Amino acid sequence: MAPESDIAALVGRVALRDRAAFAELYSQVSPKLFSACLRILKDRGEAEDALQEVFVKIWQRSGRFAAAGNSVMAWLVTIARNHSIDVLRARRPTGESTDEDWQIADPAPGPENAAVMKWEGKRIDRCMEELDSDRAGAVRSAYVEGLTYQELAERHAVPINTMRTWLRRSLLKLRECLDR
Amino acid sequence: MSKPEQSEGDRSRDQLLAGEYVLGVLPEADRRKVEARIGKDRAFAAMVANWQENLAGFDTDYEEQAPPSRTYSRIEARLFPARTFQQQLLSAGGWWNSLALWRGLAIASFATLATYASFQSGWIGEAPPSQALVAELSGDNNAALGLMARYDTGSGRLQLMPVAAKADDARSLQLWLVPDGGAAPVSLGILPQTGEGAVDIPADLRPRLRDGVTFAVSLEPFGGSPTGQPTGPVIASGKAQGI
Repeated sequence: MAPESDIAALVGRVALRDRAAFAELYSQVSPKLFSACLRILKDRGEAEDALQEVFVKIWQRSGRFAAAGNSVMAWLVTIARNHSIDVLRARRPTGESTDEDWQIADPAPGPENAAVMKWEGKRIDRCMEELDSDRAGAVRSAYVEGLTYQELAERHAVPINTMRTWLRRSLLKLRECLDR
Repeated sequence: MSKPEQSEGDRSRDQLLAGEYVLGVLPEADRRKVEARIGKDRAFAAMVANWQENLAGFDTDYEEQAPPSRTYSRIEARLFPARTFQQQLLSAGGWWNSLALWRGLAIASFATLATYASFQSGWIGEAPPSQALVAELSGDNNAALGLMARYDTGSGRLQLMPVAAKADDARSLQLWLVPDGGAAPVSLGILPQTGEGAVDIPADLRPRLRDGVTFAVSLEPFGGSPTGQPTGPVIASGKAQGI
């Protein structure tokens, strides 16, 4: 894959309706985005359909991408993940409510930090090491595979409320670590 | 002292909700609610963006995998639909198709509705065998040009008068005869780049210029279509209709 700056330049040209840049962007990033669709949807046909929708969205939303400080690959993968997760949720609607159980003690609320986070690939890995390994695994597979609380609970053989608490505590710990 | 705690609690709750959204664990209805809030709550949107940047570190788990080779052409077909020749004919014809061609009328008498009405009511009757077929070939709203075509059955000569010609001079305008019933278009020749043009219809094609055929002009590479079939957009068309 080309460097991020080249990908960002391609997205900029796509925003100007440059079809050659769109084709080049596709050839550069489609293997990564297809992989994301496939990991979440776990079906090649559905992943291919999703990839089409994802690139239609990229064409339509390229103008909204502001290169300032943001990772272009993170932006592109987010479009692929969000679309795939939406397809997954529509395919298997779950009735689980998330209204209760919000009040979880914040382990160490960090100071208000308005500074824009600079993306560092390794920072999340360092913070993940501070979590119990099974909880870190649950967080990672939730993200990578788009699993629901129910599916995570089954995979880890714990009640759904336990899984919910695991993940929420883990998110707060991660937030605290990432803001440190 | 309860107020700062309250806002602190809200902040944690929002951080959790933003994190759960980015993780992807929320059910569909909650995802929609979160997205609605992203659109109107900038502080919350910043939290979501922050999580997205942070958790993007997990994207390394997505090992590159080539999609099927057909996928890109499907995306292109979705975004940039290439219209078929038949579809282009339909859209290029415009209102004019319904009264496209009058047999036995000279151009001078062509414009008035009264003539059309008398024509429709059958006053004119059978047209003499060696008079002109006249067609105005009209285009889409943004068509590069309109054309008036006059075909003399006696001489076998099709006369074309461009109206407001704006054609790109690096390209050629090619005239096609489109038989009724969906058969492949037949080239009638290349139009002159400027001014009034005339195309001599090959003798073997002359019997085919009759009711039900359509004239079409397409924009082609300089010198005409390389394939023998229209390749560029149809900029004008008109259907020949007898009485």
